[in-house]
Amino acid sequence: MIENFIAGSSALFGDPFTLAIFFFGVIGGMLFGAIPGVSMLTLAAILLPFTSDLSPAQGVMLFAVIYCTGTYGGAITAILFNIPGAPENAPTAFDGYPMTKQGKSGKAVGAAVLCSAIGGVASALVMMAATQPLATWAIRNIGPPEIFALVFFGLAVASSVGGRTIWKGWLSVLLGLLIATIGQDPVGGINRFNFGFADLAAGIAFVPAILGFFAVSEIFVQAEKRATGTFNAPKVGMSFPTLFELWSQKIAVLRSILVGFFCGILPGIGATLAAFMGYGEAVRWSKDKESFGKGNIEGVISSETANNAATGAAMIPLLALGLPGGALTAMMVAVFQMHDLEPGPLVFYNSPDLIWVVFAAMFYANLSILFVGILETKTILYLLKIPFQFLAPLILLLASIGAYIGRGLVLDVMVMFLAGIIGFLLRRSGYSIPGIVLGIILGKIGEQNFAQGMQMVHYDIVAYLSRPICSLLILAGVLTLGVGVYQALRAPAKKA
Amino acid sequence: MGKLTKSHMIETAVWLLIAIIFFGFTFEFNQPIEIYIFGATGWPRVVIGLMLIVTFGNFYHHLKYGSTIQAGRVGIADDDEAGSYDNLAAVIKVLAVLGTPFLFALSLKPVGFYFATPFFIALIIVIFGERRWKWILCITALIYGLLLGLFMVVLNAPLPQGNTSPFYDYSALILRLNNDLQQLW
Repeated sequence: MIENFIAGSSALFGDPFTLAIFFFGVIGGMLFGAIPGVSMLTLAAILLPFTSDLSPAQGVMLFAVIYCTGTYGGAITAILFNIPGAPENAPTAFDGYPMTKQGKSGKAVGAAVLCSAIGGVASALVMMAATQPLATWAIRNIGPPEIFALVFFGLAVASSVGGRTIWKGWLSVLLGLLIATIGQDPVGGINRFNFGFADLAAGIAFVPAILGFFAVSEIFVQAEKRATGTFNAPKVGMSFPTLFELWSQKIAVLRSILVGFFCGILPGIGATLAAFMGYGEAVRWSKDKESFGKGNIEGVISSETANNAATGAAMIPLLALGLPGGALTAMMVAVFQMHDLEPGPLVFYNSPDLIWVVFAAMFYANLSILFVGILETKTILYLLKIPFQFLAPLILLLASIGAYIGRGLVLDVMVMFLAGIIGFLLRRSGYSIPGIVLGIILGKIGEQNFAQGMQMVHYDIVAYLSRPICSLLILAGVLTLGVGVYQALRAPAKKA
Repeated sequence: MGKLTKSHMIETAVWLLIAIIFFGFTFEFNQPIEIYIFGATGWPRVVIGLMLIVTFGNFYHHLKYGSTIQAGRVGIADDDEAGSYDNLAAVIKVLAVLGTPFLFALSLKPVGFYFATPFFIALIIVIFGERRWKWILCITALIYGLLLGLFMVVLNAPLPQGNTSPFYDYSALILRLNNDLQQLW
C-alpha cells in the first residue's frame, strides 16, 4: 500500500498539469460548496463535458477532489446562512445556524473544518488500506434487502429530527417519498404522476428540489422576517473552538467516522444518510439531548465528521463494484465511460495508476481542508457582513443557474421556486425540510431495493427478515419509530 | 373541538387532498409488471396510505395539544415561526418576494437569462428594502458582471437565451462579445 501511495503521490505532484487540476478541484469544490445557492454538483455538472479533454486519471481525480472539498464547503453556508450547500450538510445547519445567531460562527466553522478533515483523512486511509476486502465483504453481505433496511432506518432517524412532532417529521419524509415517485417507476419503467407534462417523465430532479427547499425557502423566510419586523442580523464571531473543546468531542468524532464509513460503503446511500445517522447517533448517546438544535457544537461535529467519512467510503462501491453512492459519484461513472472505461473490479488490475492517483489526491484534498479551510474561514465569515438585500438576489440567481445547468430545463427553475414556496409554508408550520429532501433522495433507492429484495426472496417476508443485517436495521428503524410515537402519545408537550 | 384552530383544519385538509389527488392519479398507471407482483402502483399507494395514517396522528396531536412542540424533539428551527402581518405593506412585500422569482423563471424561456437578470436583481434589492438608487444600480451591475464573468466567460455554461426578438438578439450579442473575448486569449 505504501509503495502504491508513494507512486500515486509522485504521479500527482510530478506532473504540473495534474497538480493544477488538483488545486482547481480543491479551491473550486470549497468555493462552490461555500457560495450559497450553488453546490459542488453545479460545478461538477458544468465541468463534466470538459473532462473528455483530460486523461482518465485526471478526470476522475478532479471529481473525487471536488467531492471531498465540496462536502466540507457546504457546511459553511449551512452554518452561516442556514442554507446547506448540499443535502449532506443539512444536519450541520440544525446546530450550526443557532451557533451563528449566538455569535459563535467561528467556533462552528472551525469545528466543521477540523472534523471534515479528520473524517475525510480517516476515511481515505481506510479506503486505501481496505478497498478490496471491504468490497468483497459488501458483495457477500450487503444486498438489496439490507440497503432497503438501511434506507428505512435512515428515514426513521430523519423523521425523529427536525419536525415539531413525530407526525410532522414523518409527513415531511412521506412528502419527499411521494415526490420521488414522480417519473418512471424503477422496475417496469412505467410513467407515474406526470400530470400531462412530458418533462416530468424523467422525474423531479433532486438538485432543483434541494435548492428550492433549502436556499430559496431560507430567502423567503428572511424576507418575511424583514417585512414583519422580526429580523435579527446574525453576529460575526471569529473565535475558533479551543483544543479542549475539540478534544472533549473525541468519542463523537470516532462514532461519526464509523457511522459515516458504514453508510458510505453501501451502494446508493452516500454521505447524506451518513450525516443524518451521525447526527441521530450523537443525539441518542448524548446526556443533554435537549441542547441539540439550539447550538450544540457536537451536532456540527457529528454531522460533518460523518459526511466526510462517507466520501472515501463511497469510492469503494464505485471503484470496486461500479455502483455510485450519490449524484457526484454517478458523474464519476460518466467520466469513466467517456474514456471507454468501466469502474468495477477489473479497474484495479487494468488501471492501478488511475486508482492510486485518485486515492492519493483524495487523501491530500482532505488534508488541505484543514489548511485551506482555516484560511478560507477567516475571510468567508465576512460574508455575514454583506447586507442581506444585496446577498438575496445573488443567492436566488446562483440557485437558478444551479437548477438550470443540470438538465438545461427552465421547468427545473420553476420547480425550484415552487419547492421554495412549499418549503417556506411548511417551515412556518413546523415541518422538517431536511426530512423532505432525504425522502426525495432515498425514495427511488428504497423502492428499487425493496422490489429487488422481494424478487430475490420470492416475496417470502420471513426469508427477507431472516437476513441478520437486514433484520437488525429494520428493528432499529422500528424502535426509533416506536419511541417517537410513544413520546408523541404519552409525553407531555411544551409550548411552541 | 379541543385545541384545534382554523389553520390546523386547513393543514389537515391539505394533506388529505394531496393523498386523495395522488391516489386518484395512481389509476392512470395501474398496469401489472410481469416481473414484480406489486406493480407500479404498489409503492406510491403504500406511501399515500402511510400519509393518511400520519395525517390522522397529526390531527390528533393538534386536537389534544394544539401547536405545542412534542417533548424530546431535536433540530427544530425555533425562528421559523410566522411573523405577525399587522399591516398591508408587510403582506404585499412577502407576496412580492414569493411572486417575483416565479415571474423571473417564467420569463427565462421567452426573454432569456441575459436580458431578464439585471431587472430581477434590481427588483429583489428594492423589494428587500433598499431605496438608494446609486446602490441599487451599482450592486445590480456588480452581481450581473460577476455572474457573466464566472458562468459565461470562465465556465462557458449554457444559459437560457430566450426565443423572442429583440431579447434573443440581445443574448446573441452578449454571446458574440464573449466569443470575441475568448478569441483574444
